[in-house]
Amino acid sequence: MSAFAKTIVRSIRGSLGRFLAIMGIVALGCGFFAGLQMCGPDMRSAADELYDGTSLYDIRVVSTLGFGDEDVSRIHDVEGIDSVMPSVTVDVMARMGSEQVAARVSSLDVHAAQESTEDGVSTIVSTDGNYLNRIFLREGCWPRAPDECVLVADKAVGGVGVGDKVEVLYGSTDVDDVLRERTFNVVGMVSSSNYPYTGSFGSTTLGSGMIAAYLFVPRAALVDDVAYTEIYATASGADALESGSDAYEDAVGLVSERLEDQGDRLAEARLKDVRGEAQGELDEKRDDFEKERDDARKELADAKSELDDARKELDDAKEELAKGQRDYDDGARKLDDSRRDAYDQLDACQTTIDDSRSELELRQGELDDARAQLEEGMRAYGEGVSELLAQTGASSLEEARVMLEGGVRQADEGIQQLSSTLDGAGQLADQRIQLEIAETELLWGLSTAGIVADSVQEAKGMLEASVAQLEGMGAPEEQIAPLRESLAAASELVGAREQFEAGRSQLLAGLAAQGIEAADEKQAAELLGATLEETKAKRAQAQEGLDAIAQLEASAAELESGRLQLEDGERQIAEGWEKLESGQSELDGQRTDAEGKLDDAQRELDDARGKLESGKSDLASGTKEYESGKADYKKAKKEADTELADAEKKLDDAQAEIDDIEEPEIYVLDRSQNEGALTYDADSHRIDHIADVFPFMFFLVAALVALTTMTRMVEDDRIELGTYKALGYGTARIASKYLVYAGLAGTIGATVGILVLSQVLPFIVTSSYAIIYVVPLHPFPLPIDPLIALASGGLGVGVTLLATWVAVVSSLRETPATLMLPRAPVAGKRILLERVGPVWRRLSFSWKVTCRNMFRYKRRLAMTVIGISGCTALLLVGFGLHDAIWDIIDCQYGPIIHYDTTVALDEDANSKDVKEVVSALESTGEVTDIIRVQGENMQAGVRDGGEKIRVQVVVPQDESQIEKAVTFVNRISREPIAFDEGSVIITEKLSLKYGLEVGDEILLYDQDAIGNVVGDGHPCAVTGVAENYVGNYVYLGKKAWREIDAEKPVFSTVYASTTADDEVRAGIAQDLRDRDDVSTVVFSDETINLYRNMLSVVDLVVVVLIVSAGALAFIVLYNLTNINIGERVREIASLKVLGFTRQEVYAYIFREILLLAIIGDVFGLAFGTWLETFVVVTAEVDYVMFGRTIHPVSFTYAFILTIVFCGLIMFVMRRKLDRVDMVESLKSVD
Amino acid sequence: MAFVEFVDVCKTYQMGDVEVHAVDGMNFTIEEGELVVIVGPSGAGKTTVLNMLGGMDSATSGTITLDGREISGMGERELTQYRRHDIGFVFQFYNLVQNLTALENVELASQICANPLPADEVLAQVGLAGRKDNFPAQLSGGEQQRVAIARALAKNPKLVLADEPTGALDYQTGKQILGLLQETCRTGGRTVAIVTHNLAFTQIADRVIHVREGRADRIERNMSPADASVVEW
Repeated sequence: MSAFAKTIVRSIRGSLGRFLAIMGIVALGCGFFAGLQMCGPDMRSAADELYDGTSLYDIRVVSTLGFGDEDVSRIHDVEGIDSVMPSVTVDVMARMGSEQVAARVSSLDVHAAQESTEDGVSTIVSTDGNYLNRIFLREGCWPRAPDECVLVADKAVGGVGVGDKVEVLYGSTDVDDVLRERTFNVVGMVSSSNYPYTGSFGSTTLGSGMIAAYLFVPRAALVDDVAYTEIYATASGADALESGSDAYEDAVGLVSERLEDQGDRLAEARLKDVRGEAQGELDEKRDDFEKERDDARKELADAKSELDDARKELDDAKEELAKGQRDYDDGARKLDDSRRDAYDQLDACQTTIDDSRSELELRQGELDDARAQLEEGMRAYGEGVSELLAQTGASSLEEARVMLEGGVRQADEGIQQLSSTLDGAGQLADQRIQLEIAETELLWGLSTAGIVADSVQEAKGMLEASVAQLEGMGAPEEQIAPLRESLAAASELVGAREQFEAGRSQLLAGLAAQGIEAADEKQAAELLGATLEETKAKRAQAQEGLDAIAQLEASAAELESGRLQLEDGERQIAEGWEKLESGQSELDGQRTDAEGKLDDAQRELDDARGKLESGKSDLASGTKEYESGKADYKKAKKEADTELADAEKKLDDAQAEIDDIEEPEIYVLDRSQNEGALTYDADSHRIDHIADVFPFMFFLVAALVALTTMTRMVEDDRIELGTYKALGYGTARIASKYLVYAGLAGTIGATVGILVLSQVLPFIVTSSYAIIYVVPLHPFPLPIDPLIALASGGLGVGVTLLATWVAVVSSLRETPATLMLPRAPVAGKRILLERVGPVWRRLSFSWKVTCRNMFRYKRRLAMTVIGISGCTALLLVGFGLHDAIWDIIDCQYGPIIHYDTTVALDEDANSKDVKEVVSALESTGEVTDIIRVQGENMQAGVRDGGEKIRVQVVVPQDESQIEKAVTFVNRISREPIAFDEGSVIITEKLSLKYGLEVGDEILLYDQDAIGNVVGDGHPCAVTGVAENYVGNYVYLGKKAWREIDAEKPVFSTVYASTTADDEVRAGIAQDLRDRDDVSTVVFSDETINLYRNMLSVVDLVVVVLIVSAGALAFIVLYNLTNINIGERVREIASLKVLGFTRQEVYAYIFREILLLAIIGDVFGLAFGTWLETFVVVTAEVDYVMFGRTIHPVSFTYAFILTIVFCGLIMFVMRRKLDRVDMVESLKSVD
Repeated sequence: MAFVEFVDVCKTYQMGDVEVHAVDGMNFTIEEGELVVIVGPSGAGKTTVLNMLGGMDSATSGTITLDGREISGMGERELTQYRRHDIGFVFQFYNLVQNLTALENVELASQICANPLPADEVLAQVGLAGRKDNFPAQLSGGEQQRVAIARALAKNPKLVLADEPTGALDYQTGKQILGLLQETCRTGGRTVAIVTHNLAFTQIADRVIHVREGRADRIERNMSPADASVVEW
């Protein structure tokens, strides 16, 4: 070992800390750079190994018309195509356990799968070269029966595993056209390199727009003759190249281009195939049709002629019948005539007879009356006689007459006598009346003269007395005269009275003689009157008897003549009757004859009539039969015509369809169109971006560490350096010692760092990504990319050497003489702070020294500030990333998205169905804030092309209600964004991706069944950009939506909030899923868990960052302290000699370091904020926006943790300070 | 009792397998107010004596006392206090803090002790009133050493120790510094011990301790020390 080598070894041994510091920082810098740089390539090579191992397709060809077997061989024949595998794929909504998800169903070549064997982690060997996209069977077995399937193993969906069922509900196209079965038993769990990303297996128009599961079914589960939906192919030689590399892209691109060049030819051929096949079928069908049509027409013609014959027959019959009817009618009329005549005659005779009869009866009646009168007369006569006889008591009429005549005479005599007596009685009565009047007058006159008497007798007496008296007294004559007159009158009256009394007594006596006893003249008159009357009646009686006799005699004569007349009449009537009877019987005979004849004629007519009727009914039924036949014929003809027309139209339509079959669009896709592979590739490149930035800091720090360290080393060796120079060593030779020293440290550090971190970092990163990708981990040792390793190592060592060279050369510039002298101490300088007198004066000396020192050594200041700020920045990135990730959940769910339940109905649902769902939700009582929206899966882009990304377009039914579900707010200004009918609010990630601001135009594209963009996109003017973290949304007002789709939306998605616990929620979900029309029920909790899982990747990165930050801080601070102490040993020793206590010494040194650390810390927070933003933006995927604010607590953590690192290093370095010997202060400044 | 006493002081260093007896039975005394020169060739143990006397190192055996306090038995903490309050040290290479001005360097010391003298007065005493705001790099070697002496004096120490105070200075400057130290002793009444290999300095000392092979070989008392300005070497 040369002396030179020895010096180097000794210098290393003598300053191991310094050596290790350089080694460490170079190791960290190179290792980080190399490790991070290799993450991407390692990920890609792992993927490539998987892709090659499973013969993943390089090229996928799809056609709008599908493919047939001919197309498969046509594509196989294209130059550069190695192997091909056709496949049938259909996207469906499937019920898997408790969930209803979008799933991709593909056909599987079961035989090939069974024949293949898994070999290692990422290789499947098969003898069938055309078995592509080979599948790992993780569990169970391959499907054998048509209703068996194998299901994705990489992601649990609805807890479905081997032995469970998957039910296909409906598809993006008509499932029945593709699948024979609707329910599949899961017999195995598989993993396919075609679906490397477990977060999403691809996009679709169904459900949430994301394929949540894939499954493979045997060919037998598919409908016969179903066209292949795609052809997978490999490009020859591509498997030797790394997937995604330029060489690979070129190799595949060449073949793709060739395929695309042949696209027209392929399309034409496919069109010809499809048309030919269809045309053949159609032609056959047309022939069949024509034959059938002719048959039908002939049949119809036959029927028609038959019908016509029948018609003619019917017409004849009708005519005959008409004639018969006419004849019959004639006969009937004639019969009626004869009948009328006969009856007229007969009736006339009968009338005559009847007249005679009635006359006879009349006369008979008269006769009978006459007889009765006669008999009455006879009887009256007899009675009269017997009465008379009885009256008279005579025995005969003669005798009676004599008696009666004697009675008359007697009566006449009595009457005469009586009448005279009666006259006498009458006179008496008159006398009496005159008498009584005169008496009364007298009495009255007397009473007036004062003489009151009751009778004339009395009055007479009194008058006599009075006269006498007067006379006696001698009264004057005048007085006595009146009295005398009155007395005279009274005397007269008394005399009249006596006369009258005498007459009366005479009368009464006479009467008494006659037997009439009367009391007075009055009674006598009465009695006399009655007797007179009696006598007169006796006379009339007798007279009557006489008259009666006369009458009797007259009636007896009359009776006799009547009797004679009667007898004559009776005789005449009897004769009349006799005549009548004979006439009647004659007439009756005639009538019977006539009736017999008429009846015969009638019978004949009736017969004819019956015949006619039956003929008529025959005709009617015949006609009816004919009519129904005719109707049948017409109907049949019409039907036949319609059917034929329909058939013809169908044939024509089919023909038109065939003619219209357009040349298919053939799309040649490669792996970059596989969402999983693309995402994986993008993630790996994201790591590349981060790898480009992070290590830069480490290199910078490494350079500064090397520079300061080597500068210090050279300074330490100042005199040695001068000696060498004086001894004649060249600059290069002298520098070589330090270059070798630094180079050695750098090389060892770089080698160790690269070896260790190029394993550790890719392992951490890939195993993080293994959470969401099926790409298996590389087995250890991971490949080390020599180029990256060399570049990184070279850079690390180069930087160290450069720093060393700079340090050495700057020292060697001095002459040997000056070098031999102790280096003039760097002059103390006043610093800016001193100009602020009040502050400066208050500082203690150690503070003053600290302040001045800090600015004395610029390199160290830079190294420390940069190193520490790097440490803080890394910590801040770590904590910031953590914040960013948690903010996704914390900011999205609650502050922005208020609903936690999404119920989507399928496309066919109508408003009523939705209402039912809404009321079902309401009825649970656990659900609030229910609103309805229309959700559409679309893609968004901008006019100048570029990538398009999946967006969820949401159109609320009621714009004012949307705030119940979502809050629109500007993230930075926190100002709410208004939402109305015309609003177009996009979420922030969209605005960032396309640089869109309010007023800019965004294009919304429709997509087809397999998620390809259709059409030119609908332009919408953005009215607001809302804060949002998960997913990309475009919220449209109804008016804005109408611009895109004129049809009124059903608003078939329901947002709601539930307060219920998991169990109740599961119940609600189950009830909803049981409805046929509900396609998805999503609870945000599930989504949140999904994202947490997805994003847990980044948490590991946080740990890595914290560890490396610690390492960085340690190296930098250790180095700084080391240099500081080493450089100021004399100062420290002097201070100790001056009597500074330990603590005072620590403070004197560490205060400076702490101050630098704090400055670095503050810079680091600023730098870290920038770096965090960079990392966040780089690490973000299209689907998610990370939180953009670092929480204050993270700043605090980063700041404090850096200080803690410093404290830790100071604690360690205290020992070094303690070890500084005071004796050092006595040494010379060499 | 003398102001400073060294009684059978030994100091042994372990250098690998070899035991080096730097000081081997040292005995001497110094009276208060004396200017003492400890002189001897290189490796004689004079620096070790200085270290022990200055509280920078402790004796392996024997007793050292200053003003009646035993130093030899002190722990690290006590020694620090001892250095802080009782000792003023003047180094060969001044050992000024480069980032502090002359005045600040003086204050640095005076600030930490119990009864300091006013810094600018001390600085004026050493003749640097006009340079007090200059940084060490702006001062000449002699001036720097004056600052160093001022720093030592400002602590108002019981004992000023100077280690080859002129070692890094030219002759004239060295003489001035020597003069300053002598003056410190004479007019300030301080006890000053100068460690040097220069025998010429013995002329100005009140007491000269010759050190040889770890022992006080000879102790002289100089009844009429010469003035520093007349010393020649």
